[in-house]
Amino acid sequence: MAKKVNKQEVIVTGFGGQGIVLAGKILGMAAALGDHRESTLVQSYGPESRGGACCAQVIISEKTIQYPYVKMADVLVCMSQSAYEKYKSQIKPEGYLITDRDLVNPDGQREVYDIPATRMAEELGRTMMANIIMIGFVTAVTALISEKAAREAVMSSVPKGTEEMNLKAFTRGFEYGQSKLKGREKKAAGQTGAIA
Amino acid sequence: MEEYKIILFLCNWGPHTAYQQLQDNGYQIPLEVKMIRIPCTGRISKALLFKAFEMGADGVAIVGCNSGACRYGSGTLTAENNTEDTRNIIDLLGIGRERMRLATFLPDESEALKTFLADFCEEIKELGKSPVMPAKLQPVEVYDESAQQVIARYDAYSCQDCGKCTASCPLALSGKTFSPRNIVSDIIRGNDATEKVYADVHACLTCGICHERCPSDVNFPEFIRDMRCLLNQTRISGERIQPHGGFFQSLMRTMTSKDILPDRWKWLPEDIKVDPGSKTLFFGGCAPYFDAFFKKHQHVNTVDILADALRLLNFFDVRPRLMEMERCCGHDLLWSGDRTNFMRLAKLNVEMIQDLGIETVITACPECYYTLGFEYEKNGIQPGFTVTHLYAFLENEINKGAVTFKPLPRRITYQDSCRMNRMEEIINLPRKLIQRLAVEQFQEMKDSGRSALCCGNCAWTGCDAYSKALQVKRIRQAHDTGSDLLVTSCPKCQIHLRCAMEDPFQETELKMEMIDLTSLIARTICWE
Ligand code: SF4
Ligand code: SF4
Ligand code: SF4
Repeated sequence: MAKKVNKQEVIVTGFGGQGIVLAGKILGMAAALGDHRESTLVQSYGPESRGGACCAQVIISEKTIQYPYVKMADVLVCMSQSAYEKYKSQIKPEGYLITDRDLVNPDGQREVYDIPATRMAEELGRTMMANIIMIGFVTAVTALISEKAAREAVMSSVPKGTEEMNLKAFTRGFEYGQSKLKGREKKAAGQTGAIA
Repeated sequence: MEEYKIILFLCNWGPHTAYQQLQDNGYQIPLEVKMIRIPCTGRISKALLFKAFEMGADGVAIVGCNSGACRYGSGTLTAENNTEDTRNIIDLLGIGRERMRLATFLPDESEALKTFLADFCEEIKELGKSPVMPAKLQPVEVYDESAQQVIARYDAYSCQDCGKCTASCPLALSGKTFSPRNIVSDIIRGNDATEKVYADVHACLTCGICHERCPSDVNFPEFIRDMRCLLNQTRISGERIQPHGGFFQSLMRTMTSKDILPDRWKWLPEDIKVDPGSKTLFFGGCAPYFDAFFKKHQHVNTVDILADALRLLNFFDVRPRLMEMERCCGHDLLWSGDRTNFMRLAKLNVEMIQDLGIETVITACPECYYTLGFEYEKNGIQPGFTVTHLYAFLENEINKGAVTFKPLPRRITYQDSCRMNRMEEIINLPRKLIQRLAVEQFQEMKDSGRSALCCGNCAWTGCDAYSKALQVKRIRQAHDTGSDLLVTSCPKCQIHLRCAMEDPFQETELKMEMIDLTSLIARTICWE
């Protein structure tokens, strides 16, 4: 379920070619079309789209959004080390830092929610789908958008004929996120293993 | 008045004299007491003690000489152990441990013997009749089937006489004069009634390597199973080829009694959480009985596997239901050739599980999985629930991520389970799971995967010097990998291999620590 917080600001960042902008677009679409909230998307074009740091800024709100740029993010999703270095200071203290575990080596300054999204995408047969796995993960961990809205947005944004595969990727990320939350909960309750 | 049956196993030496004295003095031994004169209490095995209950005894007393007075030295001590184990087993079964007593008397203690008998009779009458309905008194279903039909079912006519089966059979390779090819051709030629064929059909381990190799795809294990069912219809089933005096077959037949109320889960550790309202049932299997039977012997602890399986389910927030009255799945009855009683167990289990409104059954035992998941339906019993092997559940959950494994500084190797290796649904799971573990080393044995060697026994049928040699060979293979921990996936592999390791002639050379994969996972899994 989407949290009833007034306004959430998101930065999705990584290499060009990782589908960063598409990920941002799906988040925004899900919020607007599925969850009936307002959203904006600012994407950075330029040389980045051929491999440098690439960035999508998404704002989701209950009210009309006047200014679409993100200064301090509630959710920062990093899919490359250089993107992480560049944006790591732009996250609120209570925000979520989300990374691709194999591509980002965080500095340990704050709590990280990480997922081997690219590796999982490879296992599913397509590196291209790392961004969709990431959306699944973000959906589970942050409750930025509802699961239903996210699935619908994925369905309508990916190329025809690949819907099922992408939904599978979404599920993979989503379940990983749920599992991660469950794990943290258990750890907080002092249960790390299966045997007491 | 209901007629009670109390079996009195009476040692020939000390107490028999006392018994005779009672008779000489005109004392009427209670009519319900059926006395069997025996040479020594130590010779009455658990199988014999239990058999009395299987056949409908309401009480069993074994009466011998005082420990120091045993003519053969250790008879009384053996009887004490056997009695204790048998009492534990009948207690698990819900027959009640009070129905079995051991006592000792000196030749001149006739008065004490008299009091003992009267007292025991009274106690049994208070307990009432035994809930066991002897399988022998129930109608035997006769399957109108000929050997030729069995041959045709598995298309054994297409045997090309290539001999690949014999060349790969671990029993033949252990030096036994045993040839699957010859069994097939003997039966095709109509010689299915000979002693040799009967013995060979029951010696096979049903491990299935021959089927793997056979170019004509003759499903030898299933062929053997059906031949056993056929051959045992017309003769008293062969307890002589059943190790442990046929105890396990006897136990399983007893479980076909509707009225017994087993208490299978009484040992359950407190940390395990179950939910009586759950639609998911954990089916444990006979591990508690195995442990009770082998307690003194081999320190077999297969209930740990069940406890750890449940802990793993709990770890992933599944609180299953347990069925106190769970019966044996029937695998070993069917595979030792007793289809009638297998069908009874199958119907009872399915009825009970359906009554609880169960949708999914999870089990950690390959044989239970195979039997509940496939064999019931093949035999015309529609389960109406899905059956999942614990490994499939685990693989699915672990695959979701966010769990990891604590490092374990052990070098491991893996003993394949024959049944698991013949089920495409789960064949790869154990290795997938093993690959996830953080052990120091995982080394396969020389024969592994589809050509793995059997642990040496199946369905408590046909254990002999050759299967023992096979086990020794297998354990040596395990040692050759340089491992210090042998991982299994079937509780029976643990039992049979442990038995071989206890071979007094090999002393400690064969010893190797064993653990079930379920336990290994439970001990090292953790949240990331
Ligand atoms: S099933 Fe195993 S033991 Fe039986 S004949 Fe085939 S290889 Fe030999
Ligand atoms: S392997 Fe098959 S074809 Fe060859 S002898 Fe054995 S049963 Fe016959
Ligand atoms: S190997 Fe040992 S435990 Fe297994 S059936 Fe034979 S005697 Fe019994």
